[in-house]
Amino acid sequence: MKFNLPIFDIKNLSFIVKGQRILSNISLEIFRSEYIAIIGPNGGGKTTLVRMLLGLEKPTSGEVKIYGKKLSDFKEWHKIGYVPQRASHVDSSFPATVLDIVKMGRTSQGGIFSSFNETDKKLVYDAMAKMDILDLQDKMIGTLSGGQRQRAMIARALASNPEILILDEPNTGVDVASQKNFYALLRKLNQEDKITIVFITHDIGVIADDIARLFTINEKAVICNDPKHLLSCQEMSELYGIDAHLLHNHKHEH
Amino acid sequence: MFEMFEYDFMQRAFLAGIIIAILASISGTFVVLKRYSLIGETLAHSSLLGVAVGLIAGYNPLWAAVVFAVISAWIIEYLRSAFSLYSDAVLSILLSGSLAAAVIIVSLGGAFNNSLFSYLFGSILSVTYEDVVTIAIFGTLALGTLLFFSKELYFIAYDEEVAKVSGIKVKFLNFLLVSVVAIIIALSIRVVGSLLIGALMVIPTVSALQFRVGFLKSVVISLSIALFSVILGMTLSFHFSLPSGATIVLCVLGIFILSLIINNRK
Repeated sequence: MKFNLPIFDIKNLSFIVKGQRILSNISLEIFRSEYIAIIGPNGGGKTTLVRMLLGLEKPTSGEVKIYGKKLSDFKEWHKIGYVPQRASHVDSSFPATVLDIVKMGRTSQGGIFSSFNETDKKLVYDAMAKMDILDLQDKMIGTLSGGQRQRAMIARALASNPEILILDEPNTGVDVASQKNFYALLRKLNQEDKITIVFITHDIGVIADDIARLFTINEKAVICNDPKHLLSCQEMSELYGIDAHLLHNHKHEH
Repeated sequence: MFEMFEYDFMQRAFLAGIIIAILASISGTFVVLKRYSLIGETLAHSSLLGVAVGLIAGYNPLWAAVVFAVISAWIIEYLRSAFSLYSDAVLSILLSGSLAAAVIIVSLGGAFNNSLFSYLFGSILSVTYEDVVTIAIFGTLALGTLLFFSKELYFIAYDEEVAKVSGIKVKFLNFLLVSVVAIIIALSIRVVGSLLIGALMVIPTVSALQFRVGFLKSVVISLSIALFSVILGMTLSFHFSLPSGATIVLCVLGIFILSLIINNRK
């Protein structure tokens, strides 16, 4: 499969904060309908890179383009669904039902004069059905398990009818059974709904068969076009500073 | 009980009190959810600085209070967003600074007079017909603005970054929220007092949160608690000659304790 205009076009991106270089001269492209995994050690700059893609951090140098536009000129943010790292950790007293949370995904659309219409309602209920949380819609978000909250947060992202889904380790603190379902769902969203997925994860072994390319980020970026190959190659050992065989075995445990 | 409405000043006080209960509880919901509870106290003290300047310079103290509260709100939001300072520390600095400046200005201009005292603790006797009209007009505008952007403000309160990524103008709406809250507080201090308005904003919402229900139901519970407290507080204040603001706050505090007991038994 060959792609045309990249959705994300990142050129020579560097980020230095308080004299510390977090990212160094990163250039990469992400194309429509790709499933990209980003791995790397904690503190290696994965989250910083994603935050720059979303305009939440400004690069020290370099440029990010979305759909060929500069971040400052890009207006169609509803095309991007974002699930941050802390998504499954919520304030238990926040007054929100699952339905309240998923409806947030429709907030920014239709202009300030629009109310919650039939299209919004359909997309919200479709998103909840897709995430299998329709029966939880009236439950308070703070009373759910980690896995259920994770599904609610992804349903919120899906309610905006996104073309791109960016997930920053949203499965932290979620049990193994829920994680397996989660990976299967991501595969389905990518293969059936053609949603572009950018997924920061440590569980590369589990999704190696699903992903198109793998970006390893540790200040610099190494792009691997054959993720299965990388699992056994020298770069993985260098990236994490551990024996690559451990990662290979980890894959078979799941 | 209804003989108190034979007095014009009580009619005015009730009308003003009810409008303030609606404004304080609805704006308070967003303030508490953003973990910005202390902003009520801080802006109330900035309003007091405005009152002090107004009294000394001969301007209408209510208008001066509105101007000072809004400027203070902008400073708070700017410091919070531009310098990533701890929100509570920023609020604390502004609160002490405003109160100190207000006291110095009044003491330089003469004695610590009764007018300022009535703004500190609230006085139902001092509410004029003009005050009621001003509170009603600006209160309606403030409430309309909050309701108009309620979906966006709710999303921002839940997750500011995801709201921003989804295309919501977070910075603009944060400034708008603090400005509206500043106006509501400045309008309210004549009735409830600058020392007590923060409580009327925060306690009804915190009480409503104990019931662990969705957003809309929480707003309705908070509004009901605020209205009930204001009506009960003013009635008690009239019959037992108690200060109105303090009586209202003790009523709302009583309901908060009740809500804690009821919800811990569930």
